[in-house]
Amino acid sequence: MKGGYTGKILRVNLTDKSIGTIPTEKYLEFGGGHGMGSAIFFDLVGDQLPFEAFDPRNLIILMASPFSGTSTPGSGRCDVQGLGPMLYPIEWFGHSNFGGRFTAQLKFAGWDGIVVEGASDKPCWINIVNDKVTIESADGIWGMDTWDTQEEIARRVIPSLKHGEWAEVDDDNYTTQVPAVVCCGPAGETKSRLGALLQGPGSQAALCGFGGVFGSKNLKAISAIGTGSVPIADPKAFMETRLWYRQFQWDVDNPREGDRFISGMYRVSAGAPSGGNVTNGQIPLVPARASACASCPRGCRMRLASGDSNESVCAGTMAFGGFGGGGNLKTTRKNNDLMQKYGFGHWQLIPTKNYLKSLYDRGLAGKGKKIECDLPLDQWDSPAFPDMLMEAMATRRGIGNDLTEGAARFAKKYGLYEDDLKNGRLRLTYWGTSDHYDARIEVEWGYGSLLGERDLMLHMMANYPLHWMAWSGDPFLTAEQAAKLYTDAMVPYNGDEFMADYSEKGIYTDSKVKAVAWVKHYEKFWIGAGGFCGWRWPICITCTTEDRRGPTPEGEPRFWNAVTGQNLSFADAMEIGHKIYTLDRSIWVLQGRHRNMEVFPDYIYDQPAMGSEMPMYIDGKWKYDAGRGRKLDRDKFEDWKTRFYKFEGYNPENGWPTRNTLEGMGLKRVADTMESKGRLG
Amino acid sequence: MSKSKKTEKKEITEKKKYSRRDFLTIGGAVVAADVLIATTPARVATAAPEVASYPASKGYLVYDSKKCIGCTTCMLSCSLVHYGEQNLSLSRIQIIQDSFGKFPDDIKIAVCRQCVTPPCVINCPVGAAFVDTENGNVRRIDQEKCIGCQKCLEMCPQQPHRVVWNHYIGKSSKCDLCIDTPYWNEKGDQKETEGYDVNLRNEHWLNLGLVENSTIVPPMYKNKPSFKVPPKPKAKAKS
Repeated sequence: MKGGYTGKILRVNLTDKSIGTIPTEKYLEFGGGHGMGSAIFFDLVGDQLPFEAFDPRNLIILMASPFSGTSTPGSGRCDVQGLGPMLYPIEWFGHSNFGGRFTAQLKFAGWDGIVVEGASDKPCWINIVNDKVTIESADGIWGMDTWDTQEEIARRVIPSLKHGEWAEVDDDNYTTQVPAVVCCGPAGETKSRLGALLQGPGSQAALCGFGGVFGSKNLKAISAIGTGSVPIADPKAFMETRLWYRQFQWDVDNPREGDRFISGMYRVSAGAPSGGNVTNGQIPLVPARASACASCPRGCRMRLASGDSNESVCAGTMAFGGFGGGGNLKTTRKNNDLMQKYGFGHWQLIPTKNYLKSLYDRGLAGKGKKIECDLPLDQWDSPAFPDMLMEAMATRRGIGNDLTEGAARFAKKYGLYEDDLKNGRLRLTYWGTSDHYDARIEVEWGYGSLLGERDLMLHMMANYPLHWMAWSGDPFLTAEQAAKLYTDAMVPYNGDEFMADYSEKGIYTDSKVKAVAWVKHYEKFWIGAGGFCGWRWPICITCTTEDRRGPTPEGEPRFWNAVTGQNLSFADAMEIGHKIYTLDRSIWVLQGRHRNMEVFPDYIYDQPAMGSEMPMYIDGKWKYDAGRGRKLDRDKFEDWKTRFYKFEGYNPENGWPTRNTLEGMGLKRVADTMESKGRLG
Repeated sequence: MSKSKKTEKKEITEKKKYSRRDFLTIGGAVVAADVLIATTPARVATAAPEVASYPASKGYLVYDSKKCIGCTTCMLSCSLVHYGEQNLSLSRIQIIQDSFGKFPDDIKIAVCRQCVTPPCVINCPVGAAFVDTENGNVRRIDQEKCIGCQKCLEMCPQQPHRVVWNHYIGKSSKCDLCIDTPYWNEKGDQKETEGYDVNLRNEHWLNLGLVENSTIVPPMYKNKPSFKVPPKPKAKAKS
């Protein structure tokens, strides 16, 4: 291993308090991050599946990537893996990632990742200071909100640390940096299935309920601080690549220019500051700086002069928009911060509270109603209500005890799940995670989520570049130009422009099979194993260059090879992505996955879509169209699935990976385990 | 005879008219450094008798702290080009931030001021810290001569001190305005270029996404150019 890796993965057993290491080299074939995490999960507990997420046998894995701790732009996400208690009806092996500074500090401390096993008998936290790792008592911390937890742990790690000064971390090693702490909040402590992990004020691992897994293990936090180096295999090539990448950055001399466009593509593609923080995007209520995760030149978050809603973005800041204060931005920011402090995952809090409101509006929830509710639902629009709601959920008090199980389980308890999912009142499209972009139109999002384990949550695939550009009303590319240019970057399937055809016909084609496979493989390698941010990569088209081409597919392998010293092509990496996806899928199969389960809720097939502007090839011409009124066709989608399974090397009868496919990928041990469980495709 | 309060106030006002960038622009680096030192909560601001013998550095890193997004790319690039690896603790630029803090006090940017009266140079007992008259008078530390006594760290008047401790080799280092960058292809032209402004080279740092002097102007922000779909690369079918 020449560069990028530190060479060892931390292994902590909270039951017997043992601390060990796993050599990174053992899992090098999976690239890093998510790929290594999946393989470690399979090797340690795969043969024991199925079991539940709150079982001490569940692992919580936090993986860095070779890019973490380097200045590779838009990288360094931390991939969190394990059985996800939020997912439904089965707590799938899931993943969620967060930004901030955690993986950078983890790498500087000398670790490529962390695997936590077992459960502690008492509340604890893990302290990583370079190569010294200890399990500490969480006395005085357990019960704190996520912000206070981070501050208190940083103080305990480096008592002499003062803002703006050098501090001695350990023997003769100094830093000016604050320890990076990832923690659960009160929600996680009570095993809320909506519990998130927080790093900094607003970087969340929001999906899957990993805050609850921390709580189930009596694990409050993990802190990392390091003074070491991340080796770079070819520093000169890396520096040259980093400077080459500047052409894809936003105009730093004119940062507000991007804001003249009302919607995402221009701002996001140019990476303009404030592209995501809607709580301060409408009116410059207070001065703010664009704020970035480690190594990212985009700076999609903000830090405000008021200090509230720092580093919260998009869904985080929208969770309470128009709710509790009726759209007052100051109140919205305040409630956003409460959500972050309690440690709730924004993306699942939104449908849960929305569903509660719909039940109230339908006369089903409230005092003396079918669903007896001790919260003052008639005060829904009061600025104080969100706090009442979240406090009840975090402490499992009254109706909060049911709500904190998430919308799916809440509805199931009251006998409403099947009907409300069917009629679309409960919009949980993918495995208990919320509706997002329209599965009938932006199908790589919909299909990609259904063929995964939760909402895809990867905007820079086709979502921002194609949909948001068209939606702006002022696209800088015609539909034909967009389709051709975008698909040119989709190596190894490049050259098929119909991968970007979102017409009624186009969503069922073999081209769309390739497009969804490309999304899944990119998701697993570049986003998962590489730790790239899905709000930044891939960049197939951009408004910042003359020819509108982004750095994809050239940039990814240039950075990868400069950092690691490997000689990986983009297509090679996508093959590894295919392998990781197949491994993940094998784990889901061991948990009970079958193609018969990979169907959308009825409303996706039976109710017309509102539409979503995308490139479409209609009557022999490319155009932007919304596809308004479209319903997904059950038979055509099932036929599409059959072709997708075959394309990926899975048995089309059940969607399970075959021995040939697994062995061809070097996954014989996975095939053997699946065969022993009667689950081989 | 002491100055009148009016005179003192006028002088203070005159000084306040200048930003750090103004000092550089008007070639007043001497004045700038003096003011910076005078206004910094210095632990030690040594005025040695030989102060006049140090020619002023032709430049030092400037920044716009309000544009900084805290990505630390400059820090990592600094350690990369000097040491071939990425390490925040070895960086001669320190970006110190409090994610929970309030703008603009959430970030402190610490770069070497290339002091006119450089305490690191003055107090080095072995002459390892020196003024490089062949490279824009930048204050440097000769790693071969450094004995690791940390005197330069102690005497640096800035908080945090701008001299950086290299714990791997037990020696001090400091910002050399990228004169000695063995891990970067772009280097070494100051010696041959008469009148070269050392600071210009460091636009590279500042362009990495955090501060100023960007030359990137996306075409979309100008007149929209005519667009043609570039030639299609040869398709690669999946085998």
